[in-house]
Amino acid sequence: MDTILRVENLKMYYHTSKGAVKAIDNLNFDLKVGETLGLVGESGCGKTSLGTSLLRMPTPPGRYESGRIILDGKDIIPMSEREIRKDIRWEKISMVFQGAMNCLTPVYTIGRQMLETLKEHREMEDSYATELIKEYLGLVGLPAEVMGRYPHEMSGGMKQRVVIATALFLKPSVVILDEPTTALDVIVQAQIINLLKKLKQTFNLSFIFITHDLALEAEISDRLCVMYAGKIAELGTNEQIFGPAAAGRGANHPYTEKLLASTPRLHRKVEKLSYIEGTPPDLISPPNGCRFNPRCHRVMERCRNEEPPLREIEAGHFSSCWLNDEGR
Amino acid sequence: MEDHTDIILRVENLKKHFEPHQSIAQAIAGQKKRKLVRAVDGVSFEIRRGEIFGLIGESGSGKTTAGKLVMKLIPQTSGRMFFDGEDVTSLGKAELIAYRRKVQMIFQDPYASMNPRFKIRDVLEEPLIIHKIKASRDEREAMIVQALTEVKMTPPQDFMGRWPHMLSGGQRQRVSTARTLILNPKMLVADEPVSMIDLSTRAEILHMMKDVQRDLGLTYLYITHDLSTTRYFTDRIAVMYLGRIVEMGRADDIIDHPLHPYTRALIDAVPEPESGKVHVVKELPISGEIPSPAHIPPGCRFHTRCPYAKPECSSLPEPELEDVGMGHFHACRRYKEL
Amino acid sequence: MNLKDTRRALLEFWNEFRKDTSGLIGLGILALFVLVVIFEPVILPWKDVNRKWRNIDYWIDNSPAAPPAWTNLFAAEKKAVTTQLRAPGKAESDMDGGVGKILTLTFPYRFTADKAPLDLIFRATITGDVPMTFSVQRPDGTGIELVSHFEPGLANQGIRVTLNNEANATTFAFVKDYVSEADLSSLNSGSLEPVTLIFAKGEPTMASKPMALKGDYKLIVKAMLIDPATAVIADPHFVVSGAVSGVLGTDDMKRDIFSGLVAGIKWALLIGLMTSAISVFVGVLYGITSAYYGGVVDSAMQFIYQIVNSMPLLPVLIVVSAIFKPSIWFIVLVMVLFFWTGSVMTVRSMALQIKEETYVEAARALGAKNSRIIFRHMMPILIPYSFASMALSVPSAIVYESTVSLLGLGDATIVTWGQILHDAMAGGAVLNGVWWWIIPPGLSIAITGMTFAFLGFAMDKILHPKLQTR
Repeated sequence: MDTILRVENLKMYYHTSKGAVKAIDNLNFDLKVGETLGLVGESGCGKTSLGTSLLRMPTPPGRYESGRIILDGKDIIPMSEREIRKDIRWEKISMVFQGAMNCLTPVYTIGRQMLETLKEHREMEDSYATELIKEYLGLVGLPAEVMGRYPHEMSGGMKQRVVIATALFLKPSVVILDEPTTALDVIVQAQIINLLKKLKQTFNLSFIFITHDLALEAEISDRLCVMYAGKIAELGTNEQIFGPAAAGRGANHPYTEKLLASTPRLHRKVEKLSYIEGTPPDLISPPNGCRFNPRCHRVMERCRNEEPPLREIEAGHFSSCWLNDEGR
Repeated sequence: MEDHTDIILRVENLKKHFEPHQSIAQAIAGQKKRKLVRAVDGVSFEIRRGEIFGLIGESGSGKTTAGKLVMKLIPQTSGRMFFDGEDVTSLGKAELIAYRRKVQMIFQDPYASMNPRFKIRDVLEEPLIIHKIKASRDEREAMIVQALTEVKMTPPQDFMGRWPHMLSGGQRQRVSTARTLILNPKMLVADEPVSMIDLSTRAEILHMMKDVQRDLGLTYLYITHDLSTTRYFTDRIAVMYLGRIVEMGRADDIIDHPLHPYTRALIDAVPEPESGKVHVVKELPISGEIPSPAHIPPGCRFHTRCPYAKPECSSLPEPELEDVGMGHFHACRRYKEL
Repeated sequence: MNLKDTRRALLEFWNEFRKDTSGLIGLGILALFVLVVIFEPVILPWKDVNRKWRNIDYWIDNSPAAPPAWTNLFAAEKKAVTTQLRAPGKAESDMDGGVGKILTLTFPYRFTADKAPLDLIFRATITGDVPMTFSVQRPDGTGIELVSHFEPGLANQGIRVTLNNEANATTFAFVKDYVSEADLSSLNSGSLEPVTLIFAKGEPTMASKPMALKGDYKLIVKAMLIDPATAVIADPHFVVSGAVSGVLGTDDMKRDIFSGLVAGIKWALLIGLMTSAISVFVGVLYGITSAYYGGVVDSAMQFIYQIVNSMPLLPVLIVVSAIFKPSIWFIVLVMVLFFWTGSVMTVRSMALQIKEETYVEAARALGAKNSRIIFRHMMPILIPYSFASMALSVPSAIVYESTVSLLGLGDATIVTWGQILHDAMAGGAVLNGVWWWIIPPGLSIAITGMTFAFLGFAMDKILHPKLQTR
């Protein structure tokens, strides 16, 4: 499979009055054509920061410190804002922002809002644009009459479909989805996940799917990237993380293990749910050694002093944990 | 179990219909009134003393409205309510205040449920002031410390001087729980208490709530859209659809052997953290979205989305809850065939 | 503890506030105003202005429509400034053959202007029989016996001797020695101006073209205390009634405008702050109540609000003032009746939002009464806003009072800037070019308005975003 997006040594810090918040600290990963990469972690681990960084629009006061974002063979970091707007953003990579469905302007119809987004990027006849909008609404399972509706006349699921359609307009190769189902009910969530799967197949799209819900990632992501405190804790395929269907080893990093254990299971009766104590660290002065060590249930002396590198532990499965040296 | 004194809350055919707001100008202009919004449309259930009762439903199912009715935050349209053997259907001012001491509420967003200008100490002292609990300053302080200790906010003195925004989501929900505990209530209504909290700490809060419930012998009415937590957290659940309960019974029973097609759909839709599902498009035995409570379909209100619907489902009157034994109730006419 | 929080909040506010230049200017002017009000008794040149603004006798010694004293700086011909001569040199001698004594009071006066004063007025409070003679010693060595004055049987009564009216004959006699034949023929004791001549150089043209004789003058009063045991001369002083007067001159009715202006500050502040404070408080409470209860209550309250809001204040104020001869309190009351609507809509919409906040519902779930929710949970969040809106409504209150006063319908027992303006209009100040009668009160109204507007804008800027982000 071809690589559509490669991130190399990416660092993006927020420069605040209290110091630099190391929101993204030396990230390396790639995304293949037609692949869904899941990005998981607790809130404040840098998931959303990564999303906006890939769009070359880090939220101020965020700045790229180093690294490259190679999209379709070209590094987008040194590009001018004009180039980005003309060739990259929405053209090659688009994003469904968290809560975007609640950001539709209440005073305009859906059709008008979509038309405006479209015309911001491409010059086209209104009639042609309208046809295009109808086509995309159809793709996300909405009838054309939705164009004449106002946001308040639509349910959350319908609005989310509109937002997804808007992100697909210009046929980007990569779509970043930031918690696209968080505010939705389970049934609607399942419907949206199904829709995304279908769209991915139809357009051979690559998704970056950001969420804090591992169960959701299991449904959609080919590969998973578990982030903790601005770094990658573990990166592997769906099977490698969740274990093969016939229960195998599964997750390697204690953080992933913990996240998995704290995900409630419907079909398994558990007496006690586990959880991760404490909160993610302050990213201005993260802990020494492994960033997870203060909350880790298997912490060793080494974890407190030396930072574990992200190493390949089996083909395509990466983990940054010293336990792999101990023969576990 | 069947003893009547065992029932702490009994709700009989509770209804809440919202009149759409119509301005004077609209009335003068002779505009037709929009339809009634039947948010809660005839709900009956019993909660036993010391149990955790889950009310499950999608948004628009009326579960939150039902919770507010139980809290008496809004008046019911019809129906009756009995709490602890007393008829609490309509209460006078003084009785209402007394009722509020016994039934407390935990909100979905713990941050929003605290006045941002109150410190944790003030947040916790507020119920004592409201209920005129005449205690000396030191006694009040002791009560606040105790409540914080119960929810494992230790040492309590560290937290009392802080503002809500200085706490993490989990800590806020603990404070929010402590605020309800300080009055020694008998029952707590918890409306989506963990849905705003990160998954990693969700379990922590549920544990805490369960511990408190065991320690203090409380009863919970747990309102949620998230079935996955109910198995661990609740004893019995009721599944609501468009203002009605469609299935009710022991949590394990319902999750393992759902009878109503809607419950099945809900259960099927829950994602599980297991591999091997990426290339499969999940079969959902339900289509479309929940209709508006202003336009409730005739007959069985689920028939518009039900994959098994037959003509009689829409023509015959709405099926009532039916007991199939073991305290398992459902409201589906065709359950035997399915 | 709570005090500490308040202090911290205030400090935080101040740190924000001082970044705002216009806000600081406003605060500075306001502080100046407050200082002036506090030290009013010290600052006022005319101490009784508050009680005697409309008392003609109180101002009688002044010259009418005299420009401010500092206009001399720009004038080619310097005019004598109105002053009072107090603390005379005193000498006592026995009367020839008798028990009585002669008290000699010597008032030194340095005259440096080009134009003589308009009058010299002697005032004293006298008990007993005290005949007096007045004379002047001029810098050129000459002296004039001006006039003698006797009012028998006074008992602690004031006397007033105006030389310009009473010294005609004697001055005429004095002038005759100098004046040319031609001038003399056109001169008679009735028409001459004694005071001008007293301060004129002794030369033939002194009557037709008096030239100022600059130098040290001595005004000498000889009082015969016929019965020294009982006779008392209290507070003897001369008023030199100059052609220019005081900091801001005088008006047609000889009133000192500066005194009026200073006395008016406290009323402006009072009217402005009281009207806005009461009306904002009422408005905030009204808005919250309306929003909180909603439904019929809200509809009814909005209806009342709209009626009041659509009534124009000024005509009502004029009619009411014309009918009731109002006091300042009454005017404030009427203004409050109209002003409270100013903040209602904003407060109501904000309260509608706050009402939906979960913590308000949480308070209700805890059993809190409506009043507690309104006062403890909603008010504190709206109060910062109301401060800003209060500051912004101060200027209009001041202007409205001024307008009513300008129409002659103000409170007649106090001095307000609006009334000074009204008198100026009535006195044709514009036509007569008496600018010092119009500009100071007008400017004061404008500056006060601006001060509070500055303060309001600054507070608005600081307090509003806070409210939104919370």
